[in-house]
Amino acid sequence: MLPLSLLKTAQGHPMLVELKNGETYNGHLVNCDTWMNIHLREVICTSKDGDRFWRMPECYIRGNTIKYLRVPDEVIDKVQEETKSRADRKPPVLGRGRGRGREDGPGGRQPKGAGRGFEDGAKGAGGRGRGGSGGKTSGSRGGGRGRVKCQAKELQIC
Amino acid sequence: MSTGPGLESLVDQTISVITNDGRNIVGVLKGFDQATNIILDESHERVYSTKEGVQQLVLGLYIIRGDNISVVGELDEELDSALDLSNLRAHPLKPVIH
Repeated sequence: MLPLSLLKTAQGHPMLVELKNGETYNGHLVNCDTWMNIHLREVICTSKDGDRFWRMPECYIRGNTIKYLRVPDEVIDKVQEETKSRADRKPPVLGRGRGRGREDGPGGRQPKGAGRGFEDGAKGAGGRGRGGSGGKTSGSRGGGRGRVKCQAKELQIC
Repeated sequence: MSTGPGLESLVDQTISVITNDGRNIVGVLKGFDQATNIILDESHERVYSTKEGVQQLVLGLYIIRGDNISVVGELDEELDSALDLSNLRAHPLKPVIH
């Protein structure tokens, strides 16, 4: 379970947020995002020493200032339901990130690494292959020449 | 026992976390992400002092931001239950200095 999914599930619940500077904010979570920025309503702010208090109708806290969040125990049971139902809906993703194989044989790699496929997704399904057969493994040197050759071949065919 | 690197093998196990501000929090690891943000369930803080035994404060369900985590360790529950915390004295940890 991801911490941010738990946080998302805690929307509407009361929570305590301690910041890196030691201040704490008690309030109801309205919204949060993937940076852990959070929007609270009906907030009580407590100073680091715990001796001063401020009430405010709402506040917005930048995620990177947070030390930890304390959420009600029952929230964790609600997440499990949500993630399960989402997993049921999601179809399996296959065959992503295959890159763009080469069709012509000779000639080295294309300049700028086109079609190397950076996505790492889809466990074990193809991925990152160099595609195409033959050709030298040598890098940039062959690159330019190879392309010229290919074009020449095309011209001949025409 | 945990195997391999990463926190995956510690999920649903009791772990001990030391935070940058020098706190020691013990709880069950329920989840984590790439930023080492972690979910701790049934967590409690152990407060060390040289004057009296270790105090345990009940915290409950916590999300600790990765920025604030120094160390995550597996807790040997057998060894831990054999400890007599009320007679254990220790200096509190100092916070990390950046």
